[in-house]
Amino acid sequence: MNLFDPESWYWLYDVPPFRLALLFVTVFVGFYWVGSIVVRPILRQFVKYTPGSNDIVGYVLSCFCVFYGLLLGLIAVTAYQNVAEAGANVTREASAVSALYEDVSRYPEPYSQNLRWLIRDYTRYVIKYAWPLQQQGIVPEEGTIRIQAFHDQLLDFEPKTPSQEIIHAEALRQLNELLAARQLRLYSVKASLPGSMWFVMIVGAILNIAICWLFDMRFLTQLMLGGILAAYLGIMMHLIFDMNQPFRGDVSISAEPFEALYKRIEEQ
Amino acid sequence: MSGTPADRLSRREALRQGSAATLAAARALAPALFAGCSLGIPPRAKTVKVGLLHSQTGTMAMSATSLRDIELHAFEQINAAGGILGRQVVPRAPDPRSKTDFFPRRARQLLDDGSVAVFGCWTSSARKAVLPIFEEAKKLLFYSVQYEGNESSPYVVYGGMVPNQQILPALDWLASVAGGLRKKIFLLGSDLVFPRTANYIAKKYLATKEMRPVGEAYVPLGDRDFSGVVKEILASGADCVLSTVNGDSNIGLFAALAKAEVDPAKIPVMTTSIAEDELRFLMPEQVAGHYAAACYFQSLDTPANQMWVDGFRKEFGYDRVTGDPMEPDWCLVHLWKKAVEKAGSFETEAVRQAFRDGLEFAGPGGPVRLDPKTQHTSKFFRLGRIREDQQFDIVHASPEPIVADPYPALAFPGWSVDWTKGGITRGAEVDIDGDV
Repeated sequence: MNLFDPESWYWLYDVPPFRLALLFVTVFVGFYWVGSIVVRPILRQFVKYTPGSNDIVGYVLSCFCVFYGLLLGLIAVTAYQNVAEAGANVTREASAVSALYEDVSRYPEPYSQNLRWLIRDYTRYVIKYAWPLQQQGIVPEEGTIRIQAFHDQLLDFEPKTPSQEIIHAEALRQLNELLAARQLRLYSVKASLPGSMWFVMIVGAILNIAICWLFDMRFLTQLMLGGILAAYLGIMMHLIFDMNQPFRGDVSISAEPFEALYKRIEEQ
Repeated sequence: MSGTPADRLSRREALRQGSAATLAAARALAPALFAGCSLGIPPRAKTVKVGLLHSQTGTMAMSATSLRDIELHAFEQINAAGGILGRQVVPRAPDPRSKTDFFPRRARQLLDDGSVAVFGCWTSSARKAVLPIFEEAKKLLFYSVQYEGNESSPYVVYGGMVPNQQILPALDWLASVAGGLRKKIFLLGSDLVFPRTANYIAKKYLATKEMRPVGEAYVPLGDRDFSGVVKEILASGADCVLSTVNGDSNIGLFAALAKAEVDPAKIPVMTTSIAEDELRFLMPEQVAGHYAAACYFQSLDTPANQMWVDGFRKEFGYDRVTGDPMEPDWCLVHLWKKAVEKAGSFETEAVRQAFRDGLEFAGPGGPVRLDPKTQHTSKFFRLGRIREDQQFDIVHASPEPIVADPYPALAFPGWSVDWTKGGITRGAEVDIDGDV
């Protein structure tokens, strides 16, 4: 297991959300408390005889927190934007499928029925097979075959009237839109923050905690105040981790646009 | 840091008490947080992979895609009921694109990927192309389409009809009063293994009957220009046509027949490769009145069939249809499940051993029995007349399921197979393209 490979940690997405949050908090607070007992007495040696050491440590911590807080904030926003963008692409793809379904409904038989059938088949595949794979971080491949089958059928149709020509051109345009959105969805399956970014975040969190160990205060106060900071760091890390992969974890994109479309198609 | 002894004492005491409290809290919370050391992760379901080897694009897609769907439907139901031997079945369905040379590549890909068995192939060319791969890997291929016989492999389970279950009873019916006492038959097929061998068997059979072949023609798979062939049929004076034309070539065939104003009442086409699914692609007015020989039709009026049809349509859409070979395919999936459960293993040899007692399954079209000697299934023969609503009127059915004979003696003298006793007994080599 390569600890620096983000994928080595993806099993964490299988932990139920509340427990995962609790796990992050436990790890961060536990790390802080254990360090308070084991590391703090050593670190304290460096500032032990410095007058006003708490003021100096407090100043350093404030400066550090500004930079680190900014970094965490920006990364959290980026991760959220990734999720939102992937979500928008899914909606775009479902909309293209829906428009395509409407377009081919106006084709003459037997083309119309067969094309609608192929669209339904694609939608069903996305919901029943592609989504569970995406939630495991696997790029689903068999949807491409279904799109190809649809494309072949669509190209089999030769418009005979001007109105059929217009509908056919529109259907081809919607198909291209669907292909583009689908490709973006597939790219998003593996999209995540790079390992180097996680490295900077984790080192930053450790330094943050280490600076807290330098304070001179009552032990219980140290455990409590530092623990609160560590707990919040844990929650932030959990949030970023949760948004790291658009299709995994608690904050992930659902197949809802496709499900709604499939339901509508079925009702028709 | 300057602390008094009292401070140090209180710190030590705090440390002790804090550690004790932390340990106590960890002990109390651990079972809830990390139950079974799994962090609450739901255990991943154990899975087993199976391959679905059907063309989803290209000329055979119009027929073969429905086999993929009925298999997916069967596995979804099996998974919902707990899977097989506690494992969820994960179907993988690559696309061989209706190209015979793609089938071996896709088959190898499936077996390398860990599929324990593969359900697939439509044309005999495709089946024959993948056969060596399955025999080498010692894995089972489940083949559900009607075929020509004259083949047996310990690693193939044949669920489709062979000529003695389909073509020969169809010829008998055409020669009967109900079939119009036809005497002159034109043999038409795609230029593939199945049509050529099936027609060879048909000619051998006809030699013992009053009916005689008046013409024979083959068209390349995917070809849609049948104008010349239809002229040949009319010129031959045939009063019926036995068609083993596959795939979307049927669109061209029936369009050409309609254009030449061939009346199905006078020259009916008895097709072996058209079911309800293919009718979706054909113009109803061009095919109505012609006949199809099959083991199953959607219009079969039994509660078991109605339930099966409803289940499929509920899942895949109310405009979808069922037909032959979807029904045999469904039966094959369930026969495999029964064999695996009986064997208690997915291993090929154990599963084959489980065939030995003769497995049975109550399919939507009636009971199906897997003959351990031939690894073929027994089935009913049914004959349907095509209606304008893209369904069939069942005009004839065999009283009992017919046992498959992959080597009919009249065509392959001396040949037989018994996988329970040594395998294939070989007779003289037969040249199917030679004179009958």
